[in-house]
This record gives sequence, structure tokens and C-alpha cells, in this order.
Amino acid sequence: MNDIIKVTNLIKKYGDFTAVDGISFSVKPGEIFGILGPNGAGKTTTLEIIETLKPLTSGKVLVDDIDITEHPWEVKRRIGVQLQSSAFYPELTLVELLDMFAAIYDVKSEPMKMLHEVELEDKAKNYVKQLSGGQKQRFSIATTLINQPKVIFLDEPTTGLDPQARIHLWDMVRKIKKNGVTIVLTTHYMDEAEQLCDRLAIMDHGKIINIGTPKKFIEDLLATGFKKEVKVEQATLEDVFLHLTGRRLREE
Amino acid sequence: MKEEAMQPKKHFRKPRQLRAYFTMMKYFFLAQTRNPATFAFGFIFPVVFISIFGLIGNSPQKLTVGLPTESNQNNPIITAVAKQSFVKTDKEDQTTLENKLRQGKLSGIITIQETSQQPPKYNITLTTSIGNPQEGASLASLVRGIVDQTNLHLAGVTNPAISVTQNELSGRQFRYIDFALPGQIGFSLLSTAVFGTVFGLIFLKKSLVLKRMFASPTKAITILLAQGSSRLIIAMLQTLLILGIGIVVFKFYLPHGVITFIELLFLSALGLIAFLGFGYFMAGLANDENSAGPLVNLITLPQFLLSGTFFPTDNLPTWVQPVANNLPLSYLNMAIRKITTEGGDITQTVPYIFGMLAWGAVMYILAARTFRWE
Repeated sequence: MNDIIKVTNLIKKYGDFTAVDGISFSVKPGEIFGILGPNGAGKTTTLEIIETLKPLTSGKVLVDDIDITEHPWEVKRRIGVQLQSSAFYPELTLVELLDMFAAIYDVKSEPMKMLHEVELEDKAKNYVKQLSGGQKQRFSIATTLINQPKVIFLDEPTTGLDPQARIHLWDMVRKIKKNGVTIVLTTHYMDEAEQLCDRLAIMDHGKIINIGTPKKFIEDLLATGFKKEVKVEQATLEDVFLHLTGRRLREE
Repeated sequence: MKEEAMQPKKHFRKPRQLRAYFTMMKYFFLAQTRNPATFAFGFIFPVVFISIFGLIGNSPQKLTVGLPTESNQNNPIITAVAKQSFVKTDKEDQTTLENKLRQGKLSGIITIQETSQQPPKYNITLTTSIGNPQEGASLASLVRGIVDQTNLHLAGVTNPAISVTQNELSGRQFRYIDFALPGQIGFSLLSTAVFGTVFGLIFLKKSLVLKRMFASPTKAITILLAQGSSRLIIAMLQTLLILGIGIVVFKFYLPHGVITFIELLFLSALGLIAFLGFGYFMAGLANDENSAGPLVNLITLPQFLLSGTFFPTDNLPTWVQPVANNLPLSYLNMAIRKITTEGGDITQTVPYIFGMLAWGAVMYILAARTFRWE
């Protein structure tokens, strides 16, 4: 099978500043691909170029074998996009927003079905501002799925969420993957990258430093003779917290 | 290489925009109706303004006459003066009345001394203020007229050599509301178009709402058109509300009835479309609410003051008039007054329509150059 995303020598400059500095990578269909890096590494810029929201300075990007600069509208039709902040009209209910998104993606409007997929049916008549952080992100994911995309892009989906909401969101991302959707996400959390992603690109200063599976990265590091001073911990404080408060979300 | 990558089975079609346009328009409209700011600025304010102006217009000019309690009250002159429908009397002691006169609260004071002769003779003293010459003169001529008539009557002259007959033509009383209401329509249209669009779009840009929609196959221009159209609907509702209150409550005069009404709606829509250009331009120039505030006031305040919204531009100094008469809001105000207060027809407003279109065109060109999505 062809790669679902193929990025070759992508460069993005803002005047003298090079935000993305000649990166190349590909994403395989059906995988969860993570771009890991600190703030300002160029993760969001890379994502927004692939999403056709920003023009590239040079290089080539194919999404589902379609050149993003030649056929941006075809690319937009095939992808789902979640931006960093919750980007929705504050005066519209979830059902109304989903109905509007169905219209701008020109697909059948099934708001309740979409809400069911992200477990928000009981919030149908609520406004986005009445949702918790995790619920907002789940709603945002519902809008990315509305056009049955081949790929969805999630920009730091768990930033600012509490542990239960994060784990709930990871479960949801895995469920979406099971339905055959490719997922590209950015994160600056190591544990998220390790537990959720099939493959990772580690990015810093606009460059990709390395690409591989989380397991391979760790094995390679160990092969260099690296030894971490470890006390074997049977449990972490996070485990305690989750044990005490319940693993499943217990939101409102 | 590219041909290899492109698989023939993919069929590309142009994104359809019509459904997206109508659905977005519906929801943008709904969102605006739920926004308390739209409601307050768009609907409550105009109603309050129009009510105030309507009440100003409904009380005709009155003369307030002070009658000192020390002076003779029971004589034919006072009776004749007080009988006039536009005269209000104020009976208090001389000192209080004089103070009131100095403060401009009275038109004048009539003091009458009766002599002890039979039949009685009267000495009338009329006190007026140099601070209020117009009312003073009105009162003086009223009193002189009555005194002359009474004198003639007392002298037994029933058929004087010179007589005056006053003809009153039936006509419409010009009231302030007839001037103020067209101004109010322009005022609320410009507010909705500029304040609503600028602050609305800046919020949508900052919260990435526009960007998220731009990630869909719907074109940017469709999103902006739907925005503008929903605002047009809101503005038309405002116009209907102002006109409705004006006509029903304050008997605003429509010279040609329904035709004038439809012409008014047409002019309002046109004005709003031109003003929206200002809104989009300002929304492009300003990056956040803080820089938008001064910019928006810079555009709207001079227009509210100079374009004949609250008072006629004829009262402005001549050197301001060329500017004042060519502002976009002036064109709308003049066009609306042409078909209402002046009773003209729509063909007479063509120069103003072109004026508004020209302003609109310039603004849309500038907006296209400055507008950004985030």
C-alpha cells in the first residue's frame, strides 16, 4: 500500500526565520504517527502545511497521493483537522455546530450519530463553553470525523487535560484507528508518545532528528550502553491517583 | 513521476458552495441573535433613542409667563393671555419669578397695576430677559396684540381702518422625529456593520473559528459572504423595528406609503453593504480588540456627528460641509430624507446611491488587501 502522507524536503520560512527546515517523512495508512518535540520545534507549522492552511516555501507534500498545492480542495475533503484551541462558535449548541460542519464538508448531517461516537449524546443541547476540557477535545474530534476522512490531524490533543481525561482520549484515538483512520498527532508528552503512537518523528529547531517506533528508539539507546539509574518502582503516583479516582472518566 | 502518483480512479470535483452558504448563514444569524451585545446595541439602543427623539418632537414650543402674586390677577389682559393654548402660567412672588427669568426658565413676567379710576385703567409692565430674546419678543408681541385689541374695544371701535386676516394653509407639522428617524436608521446600520463585523471577526480569528472552517472544502469567500448576509438580515430587522416604532407609535410620515417603505428598505440594504466594507477593512487592519477600539471609533464617531444623524449639517461651519456632505453615512441619511421628509422619489437618490457604492467599492478593495485568517 502507498504511504497515506509523503513529505519531501519541506521548508517553511517566515522572512529570515526558518520554521521548518527541509524535513522528509511518510505516514503509513492506519497507523498513529506522532510528531514529538518541545514548543517552537515546528510541529504545528508542519501540520498546518499538510492541512493546506499555510502555504509551503518549498518541498512537496502528497496526501493520499494528491499534491496539496495543486489540489488543496481535494485534500481538505479527505482529511479531518483539530486545531490547538477549541475553535467553535460560542453561541451554537453541539448539534447545531455538527449540522453546520456537515454542510461545509458537504456530507450527510448526522449530529447525534457523531456525538454518540465521542460519547457526548447527553450534551447535545449544550454550548461548547459548558463542556470540560476533555469533552471539548472529544467534540473537536467528532468534527474531524464528520467527512469520514482517511487521515485526521490532532494538534496537542491532551495538553491541559487531567489524567483521566487523557486516558479517555487515548482510548478514543485507538478506537478511531481501529476503524481504519490514519492519525497524525503532535505532542510534547513522552508518555503519550510512548503509549499511543505506532511511530514517532522527533523534531527540534525545525528539523526531524529521528524517526522510528518508540520501542526501537529505546532499544537503540540501550544498545549504545546507556543505563538509567533505576529503582524498580512497583507503582507511580499517577497509578495511585488513577486507582483512587477511578480509571474510567468520571466527568460531571 | 507525478503521473505515476496520480491514480486515474480519483475523480476531482469542484467543492459545492451553495448548501454551505445557506447553512452557515442560518447558524451565523442564530448565533448573533443569541449574543447579548447584538441585542443591546442592535435593538434596545435604537428603540431607546427613537423613543426619546419621538417625545422631543411631540411637545410644541411653549411660552411660560410669570404672573407675580403681588400683581393684579383679575383683569381682561391676563385672562386673554392665559387663554392661549401655547401659554403656560407660573404664579409666584416677584423675586422668585425674576430669578427664574434670569435662569432662562421663563419667557417673561407680566406685572399689572390697577388704577383706582372707574372704569379701571391698567399699567402693564412686561419684563423679559436679554438672555432669551426670541421668547421675550414672542411674548411682547402677544401682549401688545391683546392690549391693542382691548384698547380698541374700550374705545368703541368695532371697524378699524386696517385689519389683518391670517390664512393658515393645511400642512404637515414638521417634527423632530421626522428628522431623527432617518438618522437613527443610518446610525444603527453603521453600528451593526462596523462594530459587529470588526469585533465579531476579530473574535473568530483569535479563537481559530474561522481557521477551523477554512480547513473544510468550503471557500473562504463563501464563509465571508455568509457572515455578511447574516448581518444583513439582522440589520434589516433593526430597520424594520425602528420604522415600525416610528410609524405606529410616533406617526412617522411616509409620503408614498408602502412604496416609500420598500424604498427605505432598499436604501438601508445598500447602505449596510457599503458599511460592511468598512467593517471588513478594519477587521483586517486590527489584530486584536485593543487596537480595534480606537480604529472603529475613528471611522464611526465623525460620521455620527458630521453626517446629519442627530442635527442637520446646515448648522455646521461652511468649511466642514464639503466633508460632512460626502461621508458614506451622509449619503444614506440624505437619500432616506429625500424620500421621506422631502417626499421625493427614488430616482432623486441616484447620486447618493452612487456615492455609497463608490465608498463601498474602495473599502472592499482595501479589505481584500488587508484581510487575514488568523
